Amino acid sequence: MSMQAAEAHAVTAQDEKKERADKIDFKMVTFSLGGKEYGIDIMNVKEIAHAGRFTYVPNAAPFVRGVYNLRGDIISIIDLRVMFHLPAERKDDSSLESLLILRIGDHVFGVIVDNIDKVVGVASTSIQPPHPIFGDINVKYIKGIIENRGKLYIILNVEKLFTPDKQDEDVDQRPAASLSSSRSAAPLRYEDAPSPGRASSSSGQADINADFIKETLAGFKKFGFSPINEPWFNARYSAWRKSKKENEIQLRSESDADEFLESFYSACTGSLWSDEYAAAVMKALPPIASRSINVWNPGCGKGYESYSLACMLKEAYPEARIKIWANDSDLLAISMAPNMVFEFEDLPERYREFMVKGRNGWTFAQGIRDSIFFEFHDVLNANPLPPLDLILCRDTLSFLSGHDQKRLLVDFNEKAKDGAALILGVNELMPLDGWVSVGPADVSAYVKASR
Amino acid sequence: MRVEYINPFVESAFNVMKEVLQADVKRGELFLKSTSMPVMGVAAIVGLAGDVEGRVLFDMDKATALRIASAMNGEELKTLDELVKATITELANMITAQAVTKLHELGFRFDLTPPAIFTGDNMEVSNQDVEALIVPMETPHGKVEVNVAIRERA
Repeated sequence: MSMQAAEAHAVTAQDEKKERADKIDFKMVTFSLGGKEYGIDIMNVKEIAHAGRFTYVPNAAPFVRGVYNLRGDIISIIDLRVMFHLPAERKDDSSLESLLILRIGDHVFGVIVDNIDKVVGVASTSIQPPHPIFGDINVKYIKGIIENRGKLYIILNVEKLFTPDKQDEDVDQRPAASLSSSRSAAPLRYEDAPSPGRASSSSGQADINADFIKETLAGFKKFGFSPINEPWFNARYSAWRKSKKENEIQLRSESDADEFLESFYSACTGSLWSDEYAAAVMKALPPIASRSINVWNPGCGKGYESYSLACMLKEAYPEARIKIWANDSDLLAISMAPNMVFEFEDLPERYREFMVKGRNGWTFAQGIRDSIFFEFHDVLNANPLPPLDLILCRDTLSFLSGHDQKRLLVDFNEKAKDGAALILGVNELMPLDGWVSVGPADVSAYVKASR
Repeated sequence: MRVEYINPFVESAFNVMKEVLQADVKRGELFLKSTSMPVMGVAAIVGLAGDVEGRVLFDMDKATALRIASAMNGEELKTLDELVKATITELANMITAQAVTKLHELGFRFDLTPPAIFTGDNMEVSNQDVEALIVPMETPHGKVEVNVAIRERA
C-alpha cells in the first residue's frame, strides 16, 4: 500500500468514525444469554463484576439466586437465564458468575448472565422496535433490537423488568401472557367426546347398566367418568359383565364399587415407589434442563409418591433445586405427610440413602423434606404456582366431577412450561390437544409440545 | 396452606380462648374455602409477612364479641365501645402471636402486623387467589371463626 493510499484510508476511517461519533447517543453493555446477544442501557449499569457464593434465600422466586454483599451493600442476585427459562450451564458453588450490577431508581440488583462482552455505542434512531414473534423473552421486556458490526443485539428494558412496584405483577403476568395463546391452541377434546349416555356399547340394556354403574361409582367413590378414563371403564365394564351374573352386574354397595375400581389404581399407590416403577417413570420423563425443577403433585394423599418422586429427581438431578408442591384436600391423610416415619426393614433399598434415624424411626433427610411443600389445599380453588416442569397427578382427576376435571386440566395446561411433563394414573389419558404421549405402557406420561 | 402451619393456629386458638374465657371451648371440623364469605359483624384481622404472606381473621357476631369482651374484662359490657374493640383486638393478637411463636420454634419466620378491627353489618371478605382455612370454635359465649389465609411467597 502506498503512502497516499494509507493516508486516504486513515482519513476516511477518521471521517467515518467522526460521523458515527456524532450519531452515537446510546451506549449499551452487551452480553450473552443462552447463546444470543443482548444489551442493556449503560445508564442502568452501575458496574460489572464476577462473584459467586451467593447467600441462598429460602422461598424466594426461582430466578432469585440469593443475596450478595457488594462492598457492604446487600444486593439481590437475579439469574436472567432462569427468569427467561433459557438454558444455563451449571457451575459449582465456588466458581464465579458474570454479574451486571444494575441501578434502577433507588434499587441496586445483580443479574447473572453467561458472558459480558463489551460496551457498544449506537445511534438511538437505529434501534428497531421489537417484533411480536420474539420467542424467548416476552416482548414487553424488550426495548428494541439493533444491528452492530454484523451482530444483532436485543436491548432489554430493565426498568420494566425490575421496577419493584411492578415486579410481582410482572412475574404473575409472564405465564399469563403466554397462556392466552396456549389456551386457544389447546381446545378441550371434551366437547367432541361422546357424552356418558352415548358411550359405545352394543345393546340398549348394556347402556343402561353401564350408565347405572357410572352413576353408582360417582355416588359411592366420587369417580367421574370422562374421556380421561373412558377406555379403562369400557374395558373394565365388559370384563365385569363377563365375570358377574346378570343380576349382580350393578354395584349395590361401596365394597362393590371398590371391587370394580380395584384394577384402576396405579402401581405403588399408598407406598413408596418400587425400583421398577421409579425406573419406568424416570424413563418416561424428558430430560429437564432447568436448574430449578418445579413440580406440582395434586392429590398426593399420604405423601408417599411425593417422597418417591423427590428421591428420584434428587438422584437424577443432584445439582438442581427441586421444589415439589404436594396438595391434598384430605386433612387427615396429608397432616401425617411432613413427618412420615418408617421402619428400616420396610424400606425399599433405594430410599435408604435418603433417610436419617430419628427418635421414632427412620425419616427422610432434611434435604428431601425441604424440597416438598405439603399443603392442605383444594385444587379446585386458586392454585398459585410458578411455571412447572413436571405435574404428577395419578388417579386424582378421575375422582373429580367432569366439570372440575376440565378446569384442572386447563390449569395444568396454563401452569406447565413448554416441554413440561405430566404423569397421570396408569389408566388415565390426557384429553387435551398439545400434549404428546411418551414413555412406557406402565406409566401414563405426556409432554407439552412447544408452540 | 402448608400442613405445618395448620396445627399451630388451631392449637393456639383453642388454648388462648380456653384460658382467657375460663370455659369449655370446642373445635369444629376444619375446612377450606376460597370464595368470598360473609363476616358475622365483628372481624379482627392480623396480617402475616415473612416467609409467607397472608392474614388471620377472627370473625364473630356482635353479641358474641360483647360477651367475650365482658368475660375477659370481668364486667358486663353492653355497647360495642372502645374497650370491647380493644379487647377483641387483643384476643386476636394473643392467638396469632402464640401461633407465630410455635411456628418460629418449627423454623418458620413470620412477622405480624398490628391487628385491626372491623365492625358493621353485611360485610364480606374475599381473597383472590388464596384459599382460607376455616377453624370454627364453639365457646359458651357464641361462635368464633378463625379464618387463616396464608400462601408461600412464590
